[in-house]
Amino acid sequence: MSQEIDVSLVHVTKKFGELVAVNDVSFDIPKGSFFSVLGPSGSGKTTVLRMIAGFETPTAGDIYIGGERVNDMPPNKRRCNMVFQRLALFPMMDILGNVTFGLRRRGGMSKDEMEKLAEDALARVGLKGLGKRKINQISGGQQQRVALARSLVLDPTVLLLDEPLGSLDLKLRQAMKLELKHLQARMGTTFVYITHDQTIALAMSDTIAVINQGKIEQIASPEELYRRPATHFVASFVGENNRLLNGRVTRLLDDNVCEMDFGGIPMVGRAGDNLKPGDAVDLFIRPEMILLRPGKREGGILGKISEINFDGSHSLIKIDLLESSRPLALNVKLQHTEQAPEVAVDDVVTLSWRWDAANAFHPVDQSHIEKEA
Amino acid sequence: MWTRIKRNKGMWLLIPMLLWIGMLFVLPHVKLFMLSFMDRRSGAFTLHNYATFFNKSLYTKVFIRTVIFSIITTSLTLAISFPTAFIITKVLGQKFKALVLMAIVLPYWISELIQAFTWMVLFRETGVINYFLQALGITDHGIEFLYHNSTIAVGLIYTSLLFMIIPIMNSLDTLDDSLIEASYDLGGNFWSTMREIIIPHAGPGIMVGSIMVFMLNLGNYVTVTLLGGKNSLWFTEAIYNQFIVRFNQNQGAAFGVILLTFSVLFVWIVLKITKQDLTEAM
Repeated sequence: MSQEIDVSLVHVTKKFGELVAVNDVSFDIPKGSFFSVLGPSGSGKTTVLRMIAGFETPTAGDIYIGGERVNDMPPNKRRCNMVFQRLALFPMMDILGNVTFGLRRRGGMSKDEMEKLAEDALARVGLKGLGKRKINQISGGQQQRVALARSLVLDPTVLLLDEPLGSLDLKLRQAMKLELKHLQARMGTTFVYITHDQTIALAMSDTIAVINQGKIEQIASPEELYRRPATHFVASFVGENNRLLNGRVTRLLDDNVCEMDFGGIPMVGRAGDNLKPGDAVDLFIRPEMILLRPGKREGGILGKISEINFDGSHSLIKIDLLESSRPLALNVKLQHTEQAPEVAVDDVVTLSWRWDAANAFHPVDQSHIEKEA
Repeated sequence: MWTRIKRNKGMWLLIPMLLWIGMLFVLPHVKLFMLSFMDRRSGAFTLHNYATFFNKSLYTKVFIRTVIFSIITTSLTLAISFPTAFIITKVLGQKFKALVLMAIVLPYWISELIQAFTWMVLFRETGVINYFLQALGITDHGIEFLYHNSTIAVGLIYTSLLFMIIPIMNSLDTLDDSLIEASYDLGGNFWSTMREIIIPHAGPGIMVGSIMVFMLNLGNYVTVTLLGGKNSLWFTEAIYNQFIVRFNQNQGAAFGVILLTFSVLFVWIVLKITKQDLTEAM
């Protein structure tokens, strides 16, 4: 339990005039972990990062890096470095000049020593021997690596990354994603990664903090976040989800399991938000967690296939529920395994899921939710 | 191929400009060049006009004074303009930016001649400044502020500020703010960020501004003669005297060619030394 904490935010609030960009945010980032802050644009995630880096000062609350309170410490004195969204490489210098920039500011080292360290850092990110190239002579992926090397060469306590993979095309982003994770594991530096892309956050992070409208919604491991979202927002923002709206809780089966009624069909799910019988409820069900059986079977919900979208390893199947009093539909992700049932449009199927595959929450004002791909 | 043809077709649009340059710049300069090698009376070829420049120390001294004075005023203009341009582009918000820019541009809607005359009204012995100094009891007699080197410098700097500020602003505008933040993030401070990031980025703008201002100062006549009077000892005044006062066109032409040749050489050498490319700078 006595894990060392590298970065700590304690009740941090940041206001820009009337606007509250960050609202009472607290979290601890353990040493050597990969921590992501995930949220839609305008959620305040960039402001959180800029406060850790020192480019913004909190209106209230304290920030600690390596146990030291840094609220009043300027960015050039903090033991953290940032990889900028648009990388911000210095075009007036060659690659080596970029990587040695921080070392030269620090001083107390001969030119040869600096260049040796810079070459090592470049080798670590796979750019051995490219030091003499100009910034505009290398590809986007290589520029990412230079930006990483430029920060890592300073051996920071914390490396802050402001969505640097966002500008890359899909293939390169996938490759860099893994590379970044391996690099982090190898070096043991604490990474704080800001992103609106949940696939990146889920794949790379040890811990994810989901932020919305300046507030932390949930801090958890990727798996926890995916399987047991704590709030309505997390359930709708992270991963694909079926969303059944405006049901009613009929009874509680357990402290955290409830039975609900959607258009006359009884359904079960994990009860979030302290749901009580009689409460209005929204239910989220992962499309890959729904069991689909052909024909009419016992113990499930009857539906008719209205659409099949083939997508390589799986198909996304849209099913209209047959016995409901209002139109309801669920998407089911069917993996193309050997056991997968053969289905066709207009087939009648039976759907069922374990209670813990579905998460129920109080409905919220939908206009606030902005779901990004 | 298609774009090539297309491109060539538009070439005739350049004709008016080429006519202007040809008739008002190239032809006169060819004539000037020829005149400078002619004897005043016989019109025969001679190097006498150039010899006069190098033999009479007055002319060489005036020339050197003009060049050094121009270098100093250009440097001072740069020293004032760079922080101004930096604050306008990187510090001020949109609203103040427009306001400050307006304040800088507006005076240029008045001609240089009128500006110089207004300064004479301000600076002369019985002028506005002296009136207030005497009214406040700071001095009991009129002080002549005109006809000093410093007055000439003040005037030259003022008339050329805009030509320094605008190119520097243009180059600073294209500097991504995150580069400045990155410098601080990596441990840089105000001076190292200035030296390593901001000034190198603004280099072409500084170069263009400096070349323009240097040329404007070197070739200035109105501001210099009105504020400096007989003591201004500016090389353009020597040219004016040869043409207008002494009717020695050939001597004046030689001075003109010397000034032009020097200017071109000087700019070329400065560009070489600072490793700037003229096309890039422009």
